[in-house]
Amino acid sequence: MAKITALFFSYAADRMSGRRRQFDIGDGATIEELFDQALAPTLREPIGAFMFSVNADWADRKTVLHDGDELAVIPPVSGG
Amino acid sequence: MDIVRLQSEPINIDEALQTLHDESCGGQAVFLGTVRNAFEGRESRGLYYEAYHDLAIKEMERIAEELAREFNIVHGVMIHRVGELVLGEAAVLVATSAPHRAQAIAACQAGIDRIKERVPIWKKERWATGEAHWHHDPANLGETLL
Repeated sequence: MAKITALFFSYAADRMSGRRRQFDIGDGATIEELFDQALAPTLREPIGAFMFSVNADWADRKTVLHDGDELAVIPPVSGG
Repeated sequence: MDIVRLQSEPINIDEALQTLHDESCGGQAVFLGTVRNAFEGRESRGLYYEAYHDLAIKEMERIAEELAREFNIVHGVMIHRVGELVLGEAAVLVATSAPHRAQAIAACQAGIDRIKERVPIWKKERWATGEAHWHHDPANLGETLL
């Protein structure tokens, strides 16, 4: 088992009713697996609607998560 | 780039101008993105910005390296606000100086374009009606925010 922290921003934070949440995941679990099992029902958008980072570096959905990782779920940006 | 920063305080344009100053530069370009009183025809009272600070700074620094490499700028400043902004306030500043004006202007344009496209910052529109919506929220499909 591994414990990771997920960060949510913009409307993703609204839908998750919070900006930070911890998850216990199985060894070798990917972002995509965590998304499908734990996030998709609440975020109510397909995985393709988001970008991801792990420990503040961009990461694709096949990235394996490790104990202590900080995953960010990143909706389309709108700065400027 | 000399300054890459997210801040909740108002942007000090004089700081940027002082940073750009260099006797080797014949051109300085400054872009300010300011908060409008309407979006897509709907009256607005202001914007709230949030950022994923660590990744936003990394991405802005990557953009800064690109500008230095592609446009030969001598000095540069990129500052983006976070938090509540009222109408007319500057939300973002991109400023560049280069030996020639074309380089400074092109770098400034590329800087703001790439910030808008790539940096993890989000804005929420505070409508005159009292409602508030995040830009790009698919729940607002059919409204005005895509």
